[in-house]
Amino acid sequence: MDYKYIEQLLERYWECQTTLEEEAILRNFFRQEDVPASLLPYRQFFIEQDEVAAEHVSEDFQERMLRLVGEDVPTRVCKAHRLTFMRRCRPFYRAAGLVAILLTIGNAAHQSFSDEDVADTTPQMAEGIAADSLQQITIDKPEQQSAELKALPTDTVSKHTR
Amino acid sequence: MENVSFRTTVLPLSDRLFRIALRITMNRAEAEDVVQDTLLRVWECRSEWEQIGSLEAFAIATCRNRALDVTKRAGRNNASLDKIDSAQPSIFNLQSSIEAREQLSIVRRLMDDLPEVQRTIMLLRDIEGKTYQEIAQLLDISETQVKVYLHRARTKIKERIWIINT
Repeated sequence: MDYKYIEQLLERYWECQTTLEEEAILRNFFRQEDVPASLLPYRQFFIEQDEVAAEHVSEDFQERMLRLVGEDVPTRVCKAHRLTFMRRCRPFYRAAGLVAILLTIGNAAHQSFSDEDVADTTPQMAEGIAADSLQQITIDKPEQQSAELKALPTDTVSKHTR
Repeated sequence: MENVSFRTTVLPLSDRLFRIALRITMNRAEAEDVVQDTLLRVWECRSEWEQIGSLEAFAIATCRNRALDVTKRAGRNNASLDKIDSAQPSIFNLQSSIEAREQLSIVRRLMDDLPEVQRTIMLLRDIEGKTYQEIAQLLDISETQVKVYLHRARTKIKERIWIINT
């Protein structure tokens, strides 16, 4: 890899001829592990600039300052929720519920397909079944049935008895 | 100016001011005290902010002056962290000096050994990312002076890195 550009940038950096963007390029370059031996001595210098930039006041400093000037200190809301056994199992319940719904739908679909023989019944067969049933009723309760049949219009009776 | 909030206008400057104060005082506790004084001073002057112009420049100038006062009062002008620590043998300082030495890295050593103006300019340029013009305004010096000081600082660092590695 050609490091001529970086070497030129570095020379210009020492001479204060680099822009802020070019200095950022140098810093980014030296952040990587793979730096050639000729540039290695300068790596630590650029890396530690990041560390200096990360230096900050202590954690409670801002709170102290806000109290000093009489401004409200933001309260850190960090509620600890006690998780009950039931609440912990909630995801499992949800999963079980989903499985149950899927099984119900699957069963219903399966049943509707397996009842195909009923759906395939022809009109002639249905008429035969109905006639048999009516005949059966007539045998069981002949008086009541004959009275009902008399009350019906003639075309309906013929349909029933056909 | 009545509705200004300390938290949103002044407090965000604290870390930047802390780094500047730390490079001058070489002591975290003192640097925090300097920042605290500076922020309170800036806040007290809030009725004059409109005349001040740049709040950041005002805060940095105040912080720098206070940090220099602190080091002057302690009689350790431009001393490095190593020298300060060895000059204060109390238990607290002994502990903090051990911690400080552990953390003291090459760059910080090199930077801390520079004269204060060069150190501050280098910090403002390399750490805070300020332009030459901004640094000149912040420190109330010319842009040419900024470049001269920065050039001296970088040349020294380059030479020292070269010496360390040969």
